[in-house]
Amino acid sequence: MIEQLLELARRRADGGADALWRQVERTSVAFEWGRLKTAGASEEAGANLRVRHRGRVGIAGTTAVDASPDDILTRALASAELGEELALAFPAPAPVPPVATFFHPVADASLDRLMAIGRSLLERLEREGCRVNVTIERETAETRVANSAGAAGAYRSTAIGVSAEVWRIAGDDVLAIGDTFEGADLPSDAALAALVGSVNARLEHALRVVAPPEGALPVVFTPPGLSALMLPVTQALSGKAVLQGISPLAARVGEQVFDSRFSLSDDPLRAGRAASRPLDDECVPSRTTCLVERGVVQRFIYDLETAARARTQSTGHGHRTIFGKPVPGYTNIVLGDGGRGTGDGGDELGGGLLRDVQDGLLVDELIGVGQGNVIGGAFSHPVALAYRVEHGAISGRVKDAAIAGNAYDLWKRVGGFGNDGRWAGSRYTPSVLLDGVSVARR
Amino acid sequence: MIDRLTAALERSRADYTEIRVERTWSTAVGFRGRRLESATASEDQGGFVRALTAGGGWGVAAFTSLDRLDAMVARAVELSRAVRVTPPIRLADVAPHQADAILDLDGDVRGVPIAEKKRLLEAYNGELLAVSDRVVDTVASYRDEVSEYWYVNSEGTALHELRPEVTLSGTAVARRDGTIEKGLESIGLRRGWNSVQDKAAGFREAAERAVQLLDAPMVTGGAYPVILDPELAGVFIHEAFGHLSEADFVYENPQAREMMTLGRRFGKSALNVGDNGAAPGLRGTLPFDDEGTPTQDTPLIKEGILVGRLHSRETAATMGERATGNARAISFRHPPIVRMTNTYIANGRGSFDDLIRDVQLGVYACGAFGGQTLLENFSFTAAYGRMIRDGHLAELVKDVVLAGNLFQTLDRIDHIAGDFRWNQMGGGCGKGGQAPLPVTEGAPHVRIEEALVGGDVASASG
Repeated sequence: MIEQLLELARRRADGGADALWRQVERTSVAFEWGRLKTAGASEEAGANLRVRHRGRVGIAGTTAVDASPDDILTRALASAELGEELALAFPAPAPVPPVATFFHPVADASLDRLMAIGRSLLERLEREGCRVNVTIERETAETRVANSAGAAGAYRSTAIGVSAEVWRIAGDDVLAIGDTFEGADLPSDAALAALVGSVNARLEHALRVVAPPEGALPVVFTPPGLSALMLPVTQALSGKAVLQGISPLAARVGEQVFDSRFSLSDDPLRAGRAASRPLDDECVPSRTTCLVERGVVQRFIYDLETAARARTQSTGHGHRTIFGKPVPGYTNIVLGDGGRGTGDGGDELGGGLLRDVQDGLLVDELIGVGQGNVIGGAFSHPVALAYRVEHGAISGRVKDAAIAGNAYDLWKRVGGFGNDGRWAGSRYTPSVLLDGVSVARR
Repeated sequence: MIDRLTAALERSRADYTEIRVERTWSTAVGFRGRRLESATASEDQGGFVRALTAGGGWGVAAFTSLDRLDAMVARAVELSRAVRVTPPIRLADVAPHQADAILDLDGDVRGVPIAEKKRLLEAYNGELLAVSDRVVDTVASYRDEVSEYWYVNSEGTALHELRPEVTLSGTAVARRDGTIEKGLESIGLRRGWNSVQDKAAGFREAAERAVQLLDAPMVTGGAYPVILDPELAGVFIHEAFGHLSEADFVYENPQAREMMTLGRRFGKSALNVGDNGAAPGLRGTLPFDDEGTPTQDTPLIKEGILVGRLHSRETAATMGERATGNARAISFRHPPIVRMTNTYIANGRGSFDDLIRDVQLGVYACGAFGGQTLLENFSFTAAYGRMIRDGHLAELVKDVVLAGNLFQTLDRIDHIAGDFRWNQMGGGCGKGGQAPLPVTEGAPHVRIEEALVGGDVASASG
């Protein structure tokens, strides 16, 4: 379909065009409150077309795959009539790196196999007074991208997500502890065992509730708990934020901004990750982008449009859905030089960092991350799941506590990185110990 | 289309089958500062099938190619059979309905050229920028859609609806040196082109607020009597209480059922809360939910006592209660799950002045920049606040964040004014990977006798 769209666009748009076609099939099973309840399937296909005409750029998308290509092009041209002038250049053909994105064990897994994975988790997570939800979603996709400069790419990909959540309600105390495996290949037995171990360990420690500490304290953030500290940095490293003049890191390339042990990269070529891809959604070949090296800011991520505005090159971070225009986005974010491991994480909460903490917190989940003026670095959040650490060990779960600080200040001096590096969504980090986080009771 | 769907139903071998098909035309325009970010028109279409076989689970299938209708019905039946559920899934009785509802399109957006939509948004965006040279950036967006909707089920319900929606929002970013403040205007209506004309005043006010906040001090953290304006009170009741009243949270969880036992006291006798999917003219309003159940006004808290909850047909049958018309899906890509529609705190008595008259030192928290509830804890960021001193409104303050425990906070609502209004905002509600769902919230001014306010946690602890 996109070849046809581009062929038509060549005739009617004087500045070229590019297009994406994507077909996705999903199969899912859901265990609700301990019972297998739903099995689902979905099929979706659609196309997104971008044209440049008389110097202006326009977009159109459709899932009506039977719609006439002429209609879609007409809509894209109408969108371009209103668009701002932009010197958008569609990339020429270039070699793409090899990366495994399609795994037969995932694509071929039967419904029974998916249900068996769910049952095995359920059996290991069920306990008195608790209810367990498990969902498993398997996806196979085919992506095609091409442009009028002759660049084109096509690949098939797989993804699987396995989530488990244990709920415990005792009086008015509501506790929910969950974890998720995400990957392009089926989880190994060890990965499933790690998921169970992670949920059970956090649940065991949560059964006892203790009073929170107070003051400027050492706080260990688990990989999922690190979101509030990572979000300002990843937002500030987007070329879009730089263009908008809101990135605090904009004028600081080459400067030592973070602790010298803080290195950050984006890696679309990581094996076994669902976000990996040989080329981006705008025909730019994938490559690993070093964003921060040993505390020194290196570069920002760009898609074609933000790169054109910033008069630089796309870093291959174009993300595109069927509707709307491409935007810059990360693939696999890796903190530290780690991320080469199995991704199963260490066994011990806090990755060995707790033993140096006399009195502080271990934070696993916060409330309200992403609200407010994130990119400025200041954060203030009640805890959703956090533990008090006393004399090097967890003494119990704290409720009614909140933490605050500034991410850029805290990242200047890192107390330590744990030995428990793992994937949390599309981000690979270990646990991190940060000193002087403001902790308050409420 | 209905005939085609009914024919597909007849070929289904399940005990219960339902099919939804949607075709949506939408346009979106976005400005960032003076720059047009995008102006696009899209067409989205697809269908959803849900099947239930005897002793089986839910088999669901979603698809974008209508040629696949029969195949996807067969697939849903097969998926249902693959799942064994004991005791079996039951559905509460709902009488079959046949209806053809064209909602008031109020100026069909499909007939308006996208260039005109751009001009409208450009004008509102211009209002934001014109307020002051301290307004350094804006984000403005316009989105509209008309969705044609068909629903049939094997019990004889057949529905056809044409549903409009239009949303408009603008954020002004004001800056002086290192200080950045925001002002937000947001409008969301189940209406059309006519309803978004003449809205410049709200955009100007949002930008003026952002500029004024540059000079406002940060609120001093601590425990205060807090008055919520109708907008924040609405967001509060939706986030902090509404989600707990969704029966899918409790119906198969004995501990949760106990926590949410009908008859439990949740607040003082002044507190009345409900959810009304049939309220005329609101964004969360539709004649039927996505299981073909008519929408209704459902009381949730009456004089402080829990009296009801929101149901799908499945949760209602399990709990021996009646379906309330709250099974909703954001699109054909998703199954219907228990959701709110238009959630409200009912009108009380008296005026805003009555609420603040005897407050020596308090905070008037207005508007909402965001809010999140996790289990029984919540955190809301107000757009701005005013201090209350000796019974009168005093200086503007910023960084007003309310955090607390749901049960304690509901119980501390001690006075509700008689100035109810619905907040016709954009955005929407998120749950189970389905966002944004169009909902509305409504409330009068509400007083919480004591709540924790803090922008800065360190000071809040003092």
